[in-house]
Amino acid sequence: MALIKAEGLGKSYGGRPVVTDLSFEVHPGSVTGFLGPNGAGKSTTMRLMLGLDSGAGSTTFDGKPFTALEQPMTRVGSLLEAKPFHPTRTARNHLRMLAAANRVPATRVDEVLALVGLTEVARAKPKSFSLGMGQRLGLAASLLGDPDTLILDEPANGLDPQGIQWMRELLKHLASQGRSVLVSSHLLSEMALLADELVVIGRGRLIASGPVGDFVGSARQRPVLVRSPQGDVLAEALRGAGADVREENGTLVVSGLSASRIGDLAHERGATLHELTPQQATLEEAFLEATGGAEEFAALVPGSLPATEGRRP
Amino acid sequence: MIRDALRYEWARLTTIRSTWWLTGAALVVGIGLALLISALSAHEFGKNPPSGSDIEGLGPFVVTQLAATGQVPSLVGFLLAIVGIFAWGHEYRHGMIRASLTALRSREALWVAKYVVVGAWVVVAQLVTMLVSGVIGEVLLDGYASVLDGATFQTMAWQLLSTLLLTWLAMAFTSLTRSQAFALTAIFLWPLLVENVIRLVFVLVPSLNDAVAVTRLLPFSAQRRMTDVLSEASGTFGDPLSAVGGTVIFGGLTVVLMIAAYVAFTRRDA
Repeated sequence: MALIKAEGLGKSYGGRPVVTDLSFEVHPGSVTGFLGPNGAGKSTTMRLMLGLDSGAGSTTFDGKPFTALEQPMTRVGSLLEAKPFHPTRTARNHLRMLAAANRVPATRVDEVLALVGLTEVARAKPKSFSLGMGQRLGLAASLLGDPDTLILDEPANGLDPQGIQWMRELLKHLASQGRSVLVSSHLLSEMALLADELVVIGRGRLIASGPVGDFVGSARQRPVLVRSPQGDVLAEALRGAGADVREENGTLVVSGLSASRIGDLAHERGATLHELTPQQATLEEAFLEATGGAEEFAALVPGSLPATEGRRP
Repeated sequence: MIRDALRYEWARLTTIRSTWWLTGAALVVGIGLALLISALSAHEFGKNPPSGSDIEGLGPFVVTQLAATGQVPSLVGFLLAIVGIFAWGHEYRHGMIRASLTALRSREALWVAKYVVVGAWVVVAQLVTMLVSGVIGEVLLDGYASVLDGATFQTMAWQLLSTLLLTWLAMAFTSLTRSQAFALTAIFLWPLLVENVIRLVFVLVPSLNDAVAVTRLLPFSAQRRMTDVLSEASGTFGDPLSAVGGTVIFGGLTVVLMIAAYVAFTRRDA
């Protein structure tokens, strides 16, 4: 079991800061999602953690930096990019080569190839692999040394829905064995199903870290849906208590009061409740709210596009 | 740590097809040329019995595929140097460097392992090519000249060193530029074109005529002196250079590039 501790990570390119004073922890037995808009510095952070890029700060794996780990693949498995292999070296030979550096027995090569479903193409050249197959081979490499820590950059890229589900189950299983798993992804719906904890960054700075539930819960309060045969009476009472109430198809959409307070008010006014549903923010909504304005490359919303000269009305 | 790096580099080198076809090409071209030179010489000697000057340097010519004439570069050496270019070129062209550096924690160990393993590979390949060439020459020229004599073995030793330095120089250059295509182009253009153009400029420009001897110090011209058995050297750094002088210049450039490549490799982002 390994605690990953990143402290004060920093990196600049040509004087432009890409990662700034970034600190977080990844705990054993959990899948930690690493989220951020495009260009937020996720990949750079992962390279800094593994000593591939030089920069400020340090990352330790159970107290040791990556460069101090004997046979590092037996401690930290990583997947940093799509297709990280020579196109004409067979999948099996690619893994044999990595195994040789880490004193991993050749039998383990066949094990991980079977684990990721690539046994049939073990002797094929990866130049013919799809992006998803490449990701599977990259994942096989990261699992080769049976490490207690995994650092995976967008591992679901190119996988089909079945592949994504398979990867989710695999990573959750690995975490349940006590491993520390740090995964970056743009697929927020997937991350909501996969991650136990989150590290959210924007423009290279930490925005939030902690359990997924806390992060989603910290999003702006969502309205409560209320249905009652005495809707008019109840709406008046809710407005009197300071709530913002609007009616949509016979349902009251109430903002500014908690569900329990609404229930109490309904009881006081003798209003029967047929529905009292607090709306939960989704991870996507919480993420967009937290990272609003932190995008490196913000695009125009279609409605705000400037008029094209010469176009007829 | 270094043993892990050596194991990794050996596996890397031997699990890529280009290593085998380049080495095979070096063997075929080297042995084929030796066969051709020996057969043509034997045919000529059959018609006109050779004089002493005809067989002077014949052994070194056969085993080095005429590189020992000092007039042509060693084709075998250049083919094997491409193995060295690919050793670093593939790391950067295919993004393998990040896989390598997460499989091995020490950049220094990886750097050393590459030069040791690839160096040993090309030396063995060059040695096998020369020995087989020598045996073929010995058989075909039996009765006319002794191919595998002391002078030939001495030239073989210089050729091994020359090939090793060329390969290391190519590796260092590729590592510095991180461009396989650029290194491949440069490693052929420099000796075959650039140095000849420089020499031509010195010859054609009257004001530079007096200084034409300085072109002997050009690195690949100096490298050719390592195996040249025809021209008598006039001192270590005289005109022409001695084999030792050529080694100092070509080897010196190789060492400088290797040091620069080491510093860059250990400091650059992967």
